[in-house]
Amino acid sequence: MGTRQEEPRADDDLLGEVASGDRGALRVLYERHVPWLVLRLSRRCADPGLVEEVVQDTFVAVWKGAKRYRGQGEVAAWIWGIGIRRLIDRLRRHPAPIPVAAHSRELMTSAEEQVLIGIEYGDLGEAFNRLSPELRAVMQATVLDGLTTKEAARLLGIPQGTVKTRLMRARAELREVLA
Amino acid sequence: MTTWHADTMLLSSYASGALDQARAYSLEAHLLACDRCRADVVGVSDQEQLDRIWAEVTEAVDAPRPGVVERGLVRLGVRDHLARLLAATPSLRLSWLGAEALALGFAVLAANAAVTEGGRELGMFVFLVVAALLPVGGVAVAYGPGMDPTYEVSLASPMRSFGLLMTRAAAVLGTSTVLACLAALALPGLDWAAVAWLLPSLGLTSASLALATRLRPLVAAGSVTFVWVTVALVAAYRGDDRFVIFRGGGQAAFLVVIALSAFVIARRREAFEQGVTE
Repeated sequence: MGTRQEEPRADDDLLGEVASGDRGALRVLYERHVPWLVLRLSRRCADPGLVEEVVQDTFVAVWKGAKRYRGQGEVAAWIWGIGIRRLIDRLRRHPAPIPVAAHSRELMTSAEEQVLIGIEYGDLGEAFNRLSPELRAVMQATVLDGLTTKEAARLLGIPQGTVKTRLMRARAELREVLA
Repeated sequence: MTTWHADTMLLSSYASGALDQARAYSLEAHLLACDRCRADVVGVSDQEQLDRIWAEVTEAVDAPRPGVVERGLVRLGVRDHLARLLAATPSLRLSWLGAEALALGFAVLAANAAVTEGGRELGMFVFLVVAALLPVGGVAVAYGPGMDPTYEVSLASPMRSFGLLMTRAAAVLGTSTVLACLAALALPGLDWAAVAWLLPSLGLTSASLALATRLRPLVAAGSVTFVWVTVALVAAYRGDDRFVIFRGGGQAAFLVVIALSAFVIARRREAFEQGVTE
């Protein structure tokens, strides 16, 4: 960010101005939030073109729906909620592969790195990384992305029942490791 | 606020997809709440991509909001380019539909207000003649120079004008039929006669389209209207049955008209592609 001493405007104030049709406020919100949104969506969808469309949809939705922001919680979380649901909508129409880069590269992490991770994040992080990709994916969708089992099923392209059983197995495995 | 912040190393391995899942998730959770780290993500982002998406966002935000008809069509599952072409049809605009409803309303009022049996019959006769004519007018203003705002565009477009014309004619025929059916429900003494205009309206519409391969659309529609009203009046006042053209013989004649018109339209459909000459 620049060196100007001017007090930066808070996200929710900006959203209020977007609601009254201020394009400049939308631009500022975009600059603040689009970088992490693109990265986070890219970890959930391997098609960069689709991610761009979803990000575009999301900010058009922010422009049109700024009035619907009720002022509770982080603006970032509100934007994420829109983004992930737009992604699910798009995937329902054109299924795209879920990124595998993260999984395969992980296999190549060195022993030292594993130890470092263990030190830095304790048992939980390690236990989490040891989960199978399938189990991690449902944990990610439900626990971390805050989706319902129905939405998670759509995102991952598996039946809702499978999401539930995988979630149970993931919990059981984590409990076992941490016990 | 937290004192933990992501360093550049962590952010760039997250951006490249190399970061393991557990750390990626904790970073994501942190980013939702920390504007300082969110600002740092800019450093590992592809600025060109972000500018490109912004250009698309502004384009979408600036795009004119589609009208009521177009949005309704899209909601009904019509594809958006077709919805726009249909919504641009002058006779599918709300003002035209309103005028049609008004014309039908007056005919129904006339039929209802008549006190005597003969008067009621006359009202019904007027309703039938008007209802049969509605789609003729609607289709006539649905295409052609001076009427259709997309006329020049559609002549130059890769879509065949004939296909567009048929789609629009079908849409106009559909909407005016629904309107006339609704109006018919308000007629006194509801019987077969209330739908007797269906075949004539199809016949008149196809006849005016067939004529439009030679004449300008409005002239074609005007001629058909003139002939129809004349024939209807002459037939009504010559014999003792006012509704003779709406009975079996008349309906059969319209079947012949439809078949002939369809033949002419199919044979001469290239006329619609070249544009109507002035």
